[in-house]
Amino acid sequence: MGETVVDLLPEVTWVGVLIKAVLILAIISALAGFGTFIERKVLAFMQRRLGPMHVGPYGLLQIAADGIKLFTKEDIIPQNANKFIFKIAPVITAATAFIALSAVPVFPDFTIPEFIPVLGGVFVPSIASDLNIGILFVLGMMAAGLYGPLLAGMSQANKWGIIGAARTAVQFLSYEVVTGLSILAPIMLVGSLSFVDFNNYQHDEGVWMMFYQPVAFVLFLIAGFAETNRTPFDLLEHEAEVVSGYATEYSGMRWGMFFIGEYANMITISVIASIVFMGGYNPETMLFGFSIGWLLIMLKIAFFFFLMLWVRASWPHIRPDQLMWLCWKVLMPLALINILITALVVMV
Amino acid sequence: MSEVKTVENMVSITIDGTEYKAKEGEYILNAARANDIFVPAICYLTRCSPTLACRICLVEADGKQVYSCNTKVKEGMEVTIDTPNILEERRAIMEVYDVNHPLQCGVCDKSGECELQNYTLELGVDSQSYMIPDTKREVANWSSVLHYDPGLCIVCERCTTVCKDMIGDAAITTTKRGGADLDKAYKETMPKDAYSMWNKLQKSVIAPSNGTDETNCSDCGECVAVCPVGALVSRDFVYQSNAWDLKRVPAVAAHSSDGAQIYYEVKPTSIEDRTEKIFRITNEWSYVSLDGSARFAYDFQNTTATKDKAAFDAAIEAFKKAETVRFNAMITNEEAAMLQTLKEKMGLKLYNLEVRAFQKFLNHYEAASGNALWSTDTDAIMKKSDFVISIGAALRNDSPAMKYAFNNVQKMNKGAGLYFHPVGDTLIPTFGKNVEIFNHKVGLEEAALYLVLDLFADKEKLPSEVKDYIESFKTTETKTIKEKVEKTVKEMVLNEETGEEEEVSKKVKEMVEKEITVSTNGLIDLLGGDASKFDDVFAKMMKKKENFSMMLGEDLYYHDKAENIAKLVALVEATCPINVVMTPPKSNALGVALICELDDAPSGYTVGYNENGDFKLSALGTGDLDMPAMNQQEGTLCNIGKRLLPTNAAVEYNGYELNDLMKVLVGAPELTIDWTATLPKERGFKGIEFDALTNSFDNDGTDNRGYVLETSNVETELPEVEKCDENAVLEGDIAYRCNPARQFNDFTDKSHEIFEAFALYASVEKAESLGDKVEVVFENGSITLDVVADAKMTGDIVKVPDYRAAEGVYDLFGESRYKTVTLRKA
Amino acid sequence: MSLEQFKNRNVGVQNYTTLDVGVSPTTNKAKFVQFITRAVKGELFVGLWVTGKAMFKALFQGDMHTVKYPFEKMPISPRYRAIHDMLRLLESGSYRCIGCGLCEKICISNCISMDTRYDENQRKEVSEYTINFGRCIFCGYCAEVCPELAIVHGPRYENASEQRAGFSLFEDMLTPIDKLNLQQEYDGFGAISPNADENIKQTPLAY
Ligand code: SF4
Ligand code: SF4
Ligand code: SF4
Ligand code: SF4
Ligand code: FES
Repeated sequence: MGETVVDLLPEVTWVGVLIKAVLILAIISALAGFGTFIERKVLAFMQRRLGPMHVGPYGLLQIAADGIKLFTKEDIIPQNANKFIFKIAPVITAATAFIALSAVPVFPDFTIPEFIPVLGGVFVPSIASDLNIGILFVLGMMAAGLYGPLLAGMSQANKWGIIGAARTAVQFLSYEVVTGLSILAPIMLVGSLSFVDFNNYQHDEGVWMMFYQPVAFVLFLIAGFAETNRTPFDLLEHEAEVVSGYATEYSGMRWGMFFIGEYANMITISVIASIVFMGGYNPETMLFGFSIGWLLIMLKIAFFFFLMLWVRASWPHIRPDQLMWLCWKVLMPLALINILITALVVMV
Repeated sequence: MSEVKTVENMVSITIDGTEYKAKEGEYILNAARANDIFVPAICYLTRCSPTLACRICLVEADGKQVYSCNTKVKEGMEVTIDTPNILEERRAIMEVYDVNHPLQCGVCDKSGECELQNYTLELGVDSQSYMIPDTKREVANWSSVLHYDPGLCIVCERCTTVCKDMIGDAAITTTKRGGADLDKAYKETMPKDAYSMWNKLQKSVIAPSNGTDETNCSDCGECVAVCPVGALVSRDFVYQSNAWDLKRVPAVAAHSSDGAQIYYEVKPTSIEDRTEKIFRITNEWSYVSLDGSARFAYDFQNTTATKDKAAFDAAIEAFKKAETVRFNAMITNEEAAMLQTLKEKMGLKLYNLEVRAFQKFLNHYEAASGNALWSTDTDAIMKKSDFVISIGAALRNDSPAMKYAFNNVQKMNKGAGLYFHPVGDTLIPTFGKNVEIFNHKVGLEEAALYLVLDLFADKEKLPSEVKDYIESFKTTETKTIKEKVEKTVKEMVLNEETGEEEEVSKKVKEMVEKEITVSTNGLIDLLGGDASKFDDVFAKMMKKKENFSMMLGEDLYYHDKAENIAKLVALVEATCPINVVMTPPKSNALGVALICELDDAPSGYTVGYNENGDFKLSALGTGDLDMPAMNQQEGTLCNIGKRLLPTNAAVEYNGYELNDLMKVLVGAPELTIDWTATLPKERGFKGIEFDALTNSFDNDGTDNRGYVLETSNVETELPEVEKCDENAVLEGDIAYRCNPARQFNDFTDKSHEIFEAFALYASVEKAESLGDKVEVVFENGSITLDVVADAKMTGDIVKVPDYRAAEGVYDLFGESRYKTVTLRKA
Repeated sequence: MSLEQFKNRNVGVQNYTTLDVGVSPTTNKAKFVQFITRAVKGELFVGLWVTGKAMFKALFQGDMHTVKYPFEKMPISPRYRAIHDMLRLLESGSYRCIGCGLCEKICISNCISMDTRYDENQRKEVSEYTINFGRCIFCGYCAEVCPELAIVHGPRYENASEQRAGFSLFEDMLTPIDKLNLQQEYDGFGAISPNADENIKQTPLAY
């Protein structure tokens, strides 16, 4: 494993990590909220509507309004639910989503200016913890997120919930395979599990991974949609079929946590896709003498996020059996073949 | 009693190929109607004479075109209702009616119940072929209740006809309109009848017949009822409501004893006030005619009543403490039965000044004649009778039904009439040529009956004393008269007593005198007639007369010698071919008389029901406990036609009823109308449940309302009658207890469309001499009244109304209807 | 009718056209081929293209369809049956309503009520008129029956109220006298037909 950029930077203190964690938590939560806003806007535009318009300029404060609403709404727990599990299930979703983010580089490193009291001079890293098994950790964490919907659905004593939970189990477990297999090929190429190495690899090669590994890219994207429960794979809580699936009985902030988790996952997937397949951030990309690497990765992340919304606006969702057929009979064989070919190429 | 039983001869006629039975002498139109066949007709009114104004009733009878409303049926007559020619005539007539008729059906008060509209549609008038310049005609108010819009009038003359032939006032007539002349060319091109009808229509309009702007009539509103279009409307109703919004509540007119059929027409008062209000009264005008009280005295309901428990308890206490219940004729049979029950169970006295005298009279009559009730009714008189005698009734005021019958007989049956009454009335002589008036002195009603006996009785049947007594009036004297009859000078002379013009012949002295013997009937002189001429007049009156009837009024019941009069009436019935009808004084007097055992005098603590008393139950809202007024309760009433009639509640009542008191006092069934079947069978009631009572007329006018009371007919000996007490005659200023027409009681007084004042009514001259206000001093008190001149009254007798119970006029008059009084200017 | 018959009953004329939806593949191979062809043909991207184009148009070419109600309102059809207006005569400003009561009578939900009176000019005058909009079903019968074109369904459709009974009085519905020039003639429900003149028969007139 070569020298990483991190190594060149000031020492990472626990204060810095803590600040970073808080930052991630705060900003990603806010971004999740903002994500909902963006989603509503984009969907609206695609349907030639205006979307939220009335709270704040262009409806920007709609997020705040929704937040207030979610926080102040009555928290209803069904009588026959397993109360404890019912209560913690959303926390699992949200927590795993955020934990996954801890190993993903979000925002550039920076040092808190000296003039700020107490925290002045603290270095805040871009990754809360740059694990050398970053990707594995992230994927693992996201996979663990399966427990949120699963437990939620099973604990709430509601048939839609149960169906939702069952679908969760089936869908998440199946697509975990595809995600893992699809990303294996790039990993084989890079030979590291650290995001920083992926970034650097592409920088060094000068070509984005998606051109080396188009099949892996497509598979990863498809699996990512499934993992994040997005259209056309939003079977877990598809209103027309299962009311709200695993979230049927949830209300208020607990329901909100599922939501935040989902959006956090969407961001995570977007980030992974950007870094692993689309060149990541390259601090040395310069424009007019400024480093625009971070700006570029933002754009890339934003593109993936937008893609998810776009797809939602355009495509119908599919049946569970089609989903399974796709997973086990199409995507997984493709991924395996891809790995084999990659392995051959790497060996040769 | 010798009822002339005319068996109706039926003939068969064929209408449009089907054979029907019809009464002989009936008009084709009526025969068709009786058989439920429709013949278009606008101007004809059943019970009135045909005017031939509309000519739409054309039919073909035995090949000739005739007007069905004035052509009588003949055995075997073949009638065709529609022929092409007739249809053409009818259509032309309807087109003519529609010429210049304002297009304001949208606001017209007829609101679709319009015969002009109906016939226009019936005859399919969808285009107009005629025209003429319109004439501006001004809307006019003819009286306090009549509103006439000549623009809408189609001059069918129904209003004038009913006023003349039924009501008797003849207060309106056709007059010149001053319209443009018809285009002569129409004469050639138009159907004949349509042209002549138009010619008449174009020239006429309706106006008060006295030449002024005011009808000065009895304000009965019958013209309003018969008007086929919206031309005549009651002033109060103009543009108030559409007919279709009004809910019709079938009922009985509450005030006079006519018991006329009416509908209360109700709907919510206004947008803000959703309680139901009576907007007007309508009637089946083909079969009944209303008087002013029936048509306009309708809003007398007790609106303020609530269930006041304290007052209710006080009423219970009052009844427990009471010895007497005082009430009047304004009460249903059911309530009367309740009071009778109280009498039986609690020993209360029943005191009813309005009915007591009548009840006694009826009892005397029954004792003398064996009949519980009189033998005919006003409807039968109108249908059959051609000679009517009225004794003791102020026809215009007391009994509208009798007035209408008296008048109708003159007009429709080519009748004749004798009218005996102390108060002169200028209207009665106008009813017909053959009406003879006797304005006799007060107290001589017996003499009138003796005269009737003299004129009509089968002398064989009369007891010899009576015969002798009557003969004793006849004198034969030798008179000197002029020889040459053709030189008789006739002059109109004002009769001092009646203030009427009478024709008197004078002897011319220069003539050669000759002695002849003439027999004079003293009775006639006694009654204020002219004996010398009466024979001729009477002979003329009797020409072709077959069916005689006599109407008796309230004066007789209050006569000092009422018992003797009752016997005389019985004697008349027994010995003369005369049917008798008596008018119960006011409202349900007959029901009360039949149901209650009334007492002569009150005593102790008195509960007054719509009357004075120590504790007052009142439907006027002025008493200690509220009671429902007649338009707020269900129940039955008995009328002059000897019928028991059901009436219904038109407006809401929120208080207690007499039955509620009964429940606490002696126990009572759930509802007031549960008493209906319990009315005493021995007095002629039939024990039919209220809800089983019918309330309708047949197409031929047969009255199916309620049921006719059963009367007992027991064969009795001829009664022993006393001689006429000529000394009973009152002299001096005389007050007559008599209400203005349309006023009968506190309830008519309360109604906003009744304007007749509580005042002293006198003939014009008398009123002048009395001044504006006068104190009428009786033996036992006095009353101060404004003086109102009544142009239709003659003579010196003044009328004092009794319709306000609180004024205690009944108490002032005591047992009689006439009193000698002192009139002091006040 | 048995259930079987009921289900098989022939409802109306069977004049439907069937779209050509092709044949669904049955074998796995055929399915796979279909999948691949569709994927390669880019059908999915056509979907994206459609929505993308819509968004582009909406944002940059003013093809946004949202109407910012209540700040912005769509023009409504004259046949729309909203809250009633009572019109005036344009010449005199008098009420058109003559108080004939036909609307009151025909009203299917019995929600019109009116008071009339005999006015000083010997005319029938509507002294008060209300409609209970809590009961009105906006059927338009009143407008249709009105002989004077006095009551019409106006364009005011915002009739939410706090209570079930919501009354409008005459003055609420009547064109304000100062807005008479703005009064719109109404060509929707109950308006006279364009060929009304042809349906009138000529009548000889004498003036
Ligand atoms: S009388 Fe009245 S309802 Fe009849 S046609 Fe004339 S305006 Fe119309
Ligand atoms: S007022 Fe009426 S009833 Fe009298 S003539 Fe005219 S239309 Fe006939
Ligand atoms: S629209 Fe229909 S329901 Fe409403 S007021 Fe008019 S007639 Fe009545
Ligand atoms: S139908 Fe027309 S003219 Fe008649 S009352 Fe109703 S609004 Fe007035
Ligand atoms: S009804 Fe016979 S002429 Fe009018």
